[in-house]
Amino acid sequence: MSDHPRPVVLGLAVGALSVMGVSALCQALEVKITTVRAAERGPSDAQLEALRPRLRRLVGYRSFQIVGEERRKCAWQAPEAFTIPGGRLLRVVPKGMRDQAVLMQVKLLDGERALVDTDVRLQNRGVMLFGVGQDSRPAEGALIIMLKAED
Amino acid sequence: MSCAEFAGLVDAFIDAELPAPKLLSVARHAGACLDCDRAVRELTAMREMLERGGRADAELLDLSPVWPAVERRAVRVDARRAWRRRLRTVPAWGIGLAAAAGALLWLRAPGPEPIRVTARPRPNQAVIERLDSSGGRFEVRSERKTGTLLIMFNATGDEAGR
Repeated sequence: MSDHPRPVVLGLAVGALSVMGVSALCQALEVKITTVRAAERGPSDAQLEALRPRLRRLVGYRSFQIVGEERRKCAWQAPEAFTIPGGRLLRVVPKGMRDQAVLMQVKLLDGERALVDTDVRLQNRGVMLFGVGQDSRPAEGALIIMLKAED
Repeated sequence: MSCAEFAGLVDAFIDAELPAPKLLSVARHAGACLDCDRAVRELTAMREMLERGGRADAELLDLSPVWPAVERRAVRVDARRAWRRRLRTVPAWGIGLAAAAGALLWLRAPGPEPIRVTARPRPNQAVIERLDSSGGRFEVRSERKTGTLLIMFNATGDEAGR
């Protein structure tokens, strides 16, 4: 019997760790990143029909088409990087909950350079938008990144 | 009648708002004075044109939702009148008693309750707690109706081209 305690303890530890891992995964936050190409003319995706008036008011363009979509479980305090069409990176760190909203650090990176570094608080299913446009050539449209967090 | 007096009365004349003797004297002046006669004709033509325009616009109007709304309003007015009638039947001592009770309650109240404003959470409310941009120009746009926020970064030509 004296030979057995070590494997038992090891087994218990492994079990406890896996339970903790599973529970951490269960508590993870689902982050959805949708990248939309906004343009002055052209059709809009049917999937964006409900959002179109809001996008129209905020961005000013008329046509909106999804160019990328990614949904990922993100653990609290762990950074997750989403590749955005065009080569940029959106780095998201879910920091915690405050006032029934998710607090997240969001960084839009262009190579090493952070175009935007921000802390945002999002309600469940709330949407935060990031846009990359160019003042000098508005006719070429803009890229809209929609960030959504769900419990 | 002088032309100046006529000028002061011509609008009322065209709208037939003058008493008969005045109407007659204005008409007599217009009959004798070419300029005033022209003024009457021009104003009459303009009035007819406006009436025609108004009629055409009125024909285009869809008044179907008006009457149900009027009916609803009328029901509310009737209800208010009924309450007023009921109040009139209450004896004066009853009103006095109610006023005294109200005053007593008001005096005994510890103080005005703070007004609590509870904003209804908007469906897409996002709040920016911190914002930093090392370069480039950005602006924050918000849509008040849904509480949606957009951080718009204006890249240079090369950056945005990607």
